Amino acid sequence: FLEGYKGIAYEVKLPTPLSSGEELKVIVEIAFTRTLSPFPTHIVQTERQLVVFQGNHYFYSPYSISTQLARVRLASKNVESFSKLDSTSKNEDVIEYGPFKDVQPFSSDTMRIHFENNSPFLTVTKLERVIEVSLWGNIAVEETVDLRHSGAVLKGPFSRYDYQRQPESGISSVRSFKTILPAAAQDVYYRDEIGNISTSNLLVMEDSVEMDVRPRFPLFGGWKTHYYIGYNLPSYEYLYNLVIDDLTVKIILPEGAKNIELQPPYPVHKSDQMLHFTYLDTFGRPVIIARKSNLVEQHIQDFVLHYTFNKALMLQEPLLVVAAFCILFLTVIIYVRLDFSITKDPAAETRMRVASLADQIRRLIVKRAALYEPFLEAVTRFKVNREGAVLTNARRHIDTEHRALSAEIAALLSRAKADGTDVTEKVTELQKMDAQMRDMVLKAATDADRLVHGKLGRNPYLENERQSSTRRRELAERIDSIVNLL
Amino acid sequence: MARLGMLRLSHEKQDTLLKLLILSMAAVLSFSTRLFSVLRFESVIHEFDPYFNYRTTRFLTEEGFYKFHNWFDDRAWYPLGRIIGGTIYPGLMVTSALFYHILHFLHVTIEIRNVCVFLAPLFSSFTTILTYHLTKELKDAGAGLVAAVMVAIVPGYISRSVAGSYDNEGIAIFCMLLTYYTWIQAVRTGSLYWSAFCSLAYFYMVSSWGGYVFLINLIPLHVLALMATGRFSHRVYVAYSTLYCLGTVLSMQVAFVGFQPVQSSEHMAALGVFALCQAFAAYSWLRSSLTPALAELLLRSFMWLLLIAGSIAVAILALSGKISPWTGRFYSLLDPSYAKNNIPIIASVSEHQPTTWSSYYFDLQFLVFMFPVGLHYCFSNLSDSRIFIILYGVTSMYFSAVMVRLMLVLAPVMCVLSGVGVSHVLTSYMSNLELGRALSRTRSRRHPDHSYPGKQEVSSAVVLFLSFFLMTYTFHSTWVTSEAYSSPSIVLSARSPDGSRIIFDDFREAYYWLRHNTPQDAKVMSWWDYGYQITAMANRTILVDNNTWNNTHISRVGQAMSSPEEKAYEIMRELDVGYVLVIFGGLTGYSSDDINKFLWMVRIGGSTETGSHIHENDYYTPTGEFRVDRDGSPTLLNCLMYKMCYYRFGQVYTEAKRPPGYDRVRNAEIGNKDFELDVLDEAYTTEHWLVRIYKVWRCKMMPIMYTLGCGDYVIDLMVV
Repeated sequence: FLEGYKGIAYEVKLPTPLSSGEELKVIVEIAFTRTLSPFPTHIVQTERQLVVFQGNHYFYSPYSISTQLARVRLASKNVESFSKLDSTSKNEDVIEYGPFKDVQPFSSDTMRIHFENNSPFLTVTKLERVIEVSLWGNIAVEETVDLRHSGAVLKGPFSRYDYQRQPESGISSVRSFKTILPAAAQDVYYRDEIGNISTSNLLVMEDSVEMDVRPRFPLFGGWKTHYYIGYNLPSYEYLYNLVIDDLTVKIILPEGAKNIELQPPYPVHKSDQMLHFTYLDTFGRPVIIARKSNLVEQHIQDFVLHYTFNKALMLQEPLLVVAAFCILFLTVIIYVRLDFSITKDPAAETRMRVASLADQIRRLIVKRAALYEPFLEAVTRFKVNREGAVLTNARRHIDTEHRALSAEIAALLSRAKADGTDVTEKVTELQKMDAQMRDMVLKAATDADRLVHGKLGRNPYLENERQSSTRRRELAERIDSIVNLL
Repeated sequence: MARLGMLRLSHEKQDTLLKLLILSMAAVLSFSTRLFSVLRFESVIHEFDPYFNYRTTRFLTEEGFYKFHNWFDDRAWYPLGRIIGGTIYPGLMVTSALFYHILHFLHVTIEIRNVCVFLAPLFSSFTTILTYHLTKELKDAGAGLVAAVMVAIVPGYISRSVAGSYDNEGIAIFCMLLTYYTWIQAVRTGSLYWSAFCSLAYFYMVSSWGGYVFLINLIPLHVLALMATGRFSHRVYVAYSTLYCLGTVLSMQVAFVGFQPVQSSEHMAALGVFALCQAFAAYSWLRSSLTPALAELLLRSFMWLLLIAGSIAVAILALSGKISPWTGRFYSLLDPSYAKNNIPIIASVSEHQPTTWSSYYFDLQFLVFMFPVGLHYCFSNLSDSRIFIILYGVTSMYFSAVMVRLMLVLAPVMCVLSGVGVSHVLTSYMSNLELGRALSRTRSRRHPDHSYPGKQEVSSAVVLFLSFFLMTYTFHSTWVTSEAYSSPSIVLSARSPDGSRIIFDDFREAYYWLRHNTPQDAKVMSWWDYGYQITAMANRTILVDNNTWNNTHISRVGQAMSSPEEKAYEIMRELDVGYVLVIFGGLTGYSSDDINKFLWMVRIGGSTETGSHIHENDYYTPTGEFRVDRDGSPTLLNCLMYKMCYYRFGQVYTEAKRPPGYDRVRNAEIGNKDFELDVLDEAYTTEHWLVRIYKVWRCKMMPIMYTLGCGDYVIDLMVV
């Protein structure tokens, strides 16, 4: 602040010191908000919006200025009135003041221009921006916007008929406006408290996604609305085209982030850290909150945020899900397997006992049936090389094995008989069939023996063998089918 | 065979696996088939009543139960207000608030809106599982599975439980079946445990739906039937006495029910049966220690005494007003034409209309044919629980014929009994098939079955036919769900000529406009249908809403709508109305708009004293027609509703080759075209003209003020 004068003084640091006699070109860009006020303040639907600009003809500066030219570019060429100073010229939508010579420091003179301006006077009265950073490569952004048409207030009725039929009607109202999202934005949504707003359009362009934001109703002067937009993206940048009164940015970091350090491009008001809980969180995600008011387009700049994060924590959430499913399945397993009744159910117990016996018997029978195949192979081998020892060995082997297995089966069968079910019936039948099978197999061996020793002719043997092998196959199939039903 | 080793499970294990698999698949199916609207539109609350439930649930989660219980709502029924805590069944809201808090405790940050949207599908999954258990009690697990799958997709139940249809019925059917299941268990075991559990289930039912009256009459009826058939036992005595005492005390804890269980006539049957139970038990005990002749005498004198004392007591109570007279809704249950003749407000609700035959087929399809089969099975194998299900089936059949909305009560029992029927038929014929196959395998040509010729063929034909019907049932249910029951009605969609989808989001457009661009304390007048939506979405005060508790107030609004502007203005000033909202479908062809509902407004408006100037006949043409064109009655053409709907519509071209002002719903060119409104301003009209909002002038000088260039605030100052 400078003593005795209004305004804020900024200090500009030059990259190189300016020695006397040298020249330097400095461009200062200043953005003003709220300097255009609608006049008249209330208009009806068919009227055009007129605004008044009040400013200074001179550049307000602590230095004396040798030459100065003020050029005012207006939104339209329809100007109601404008203040005049020595040399003022108006050309289409440009008004030029000056050039003025040797202007004193801190000189000011009110400039007043009353002109037509139908461009949207949209003000974001409140914007809350939540950025949720996930380590799985996703950044979710959600913006809650309170929007208001801050131009001339609509008075009197709103006629939809006029609005639809006459292009001149409601010229200062805002039907829709564009906002630009980053090129990689995905899953864009546009909602408010009562649900999805179905009137927006999304246009994907090369370097950005353009979103045509259309509020539920056209915004006339003084009307306001509220909505939120959200999207996902891998990395972010953002543009906005309106004046923002009050901005809150919340950055949600992954659970377990430490040593957080925010470097904003301009001073902001930081609030305390909070914790945010959402899906699968156990101890909460840190939230950084920054506030700033009265912002314009030029404020769109990058910020940098540093934090450290332990990689092992990434596994925490998948593990939680795995554990949850594990518990679910375990409960089902325990519930199904264990018997929680405190009374005895003899029928069910018998059934279970028989089932386990049947299972054992089945396994033994399968094992026994598997004996025949190698034996028959041995017989074939014997037919070729005519070594009696092969056959004798094989026969001895099958005899012992078969006897042992049959004995086991018989023992189990006698136990099953005590519970008396159809299992015993089936097993008894199986035993009979197996005896047949065994006889046939042994007969095949005897026949082969006889063939080798010339006691049987070759042709009758072949005939015999063909018949008995078909019968063996049939029998084996039937055994199989019964065993499967066991 | 060895390769089967891994998959080879014992019979029990296979059984469990199959049951679990089928049941969980049915539960998942019943959830997912209700999601059509969420997938097509969005996760949004549907229709009218659900908006109120949603609003109250939000209040409950934000403010806590105590505040909810004491909630006086000044946003509805202006200037009367409504004591919400004491006039609703809180079960639904408490359930979703509970889910919400549990989920948030587990850090599942789901919005309360989504809890509300998905609550009904979730509970229908529970219902599916419960139906299995209930049917299992009646027949066996096989029938249970069939019934479970059927109830998962039965359209009659889906109509009230799609995602977003957040209404009492969504959970009430579950509560009802739970009560039935526990009741059957209680009767079967006679244990206090099940009876107490049944009372709790009954309490949950009472706290969630007014339909509990059906339950508390059905269970006594069951007890009575058991007495009449000589099946009354100690088990039934224990079950019913426990249920009645505990259940009644518990149900009186619900503020809305209050003392009704001991006062109103709907509950008297339960009390009577309770007394009868005691008397019957006492008599049986006495008889066991008396001679037969003495017992006979005792019985007779006792009966006379009871009859006389009972009738005197009832007469005294009725005369002194302790027993409330039956309510209109209850009368209309017994006599379908009662409401039509006496209470227009009940008759005006489409879901209170008698059911047509076609809607039975539409909502139940082939269950209608299998229901008698199940009944037959139950009759031929009578047991206590089967008697119950027969009674439930028959009574709900009657009630569903009286009122369309009670189709909901019928649907589960239809599924249970059809499940029993289908399962019975299938098991009988399937076993024939099984036998046939086993025969052909082992002793095929030795023992051919000679019980009747072509047994094999007949069995396969029956099984095939039944499978065919089951399949068509599935397709039909899915089709009905997708076409008829999955539109949120708050967002409309239509097909444009080029095949793309057009969405009419006008309702929310208008409500949202009201929410943000009218004063916080503005009073909005609309017909009662839209009351709940306006309070929930626009957050503004309304005069009447879907809780039609005050007939005269609704009638007053009806009078304002059907009077000419001058008269209407008086009424609107009297009610301090700031904005008037009407639904108009003439531009888009949306047929359930206010002009089509207008005759009900006239009838209801004319049904009270203050509406003596309104006569229904004035709104018809001399030939008795309701027309909006040039031949329409002048009373209609000049009433407020007509003017609000058709203001400046006379200039609009709606269809090619038609004159301007052609109404696409009534298919007529409107009769009164170029008029100005004398006391209203058009405040907002939505994009497709579906909703039109008018601002009522604060005083009649309004237009002069405007021409003088004063804004609203100047006028406000002057009026104050």
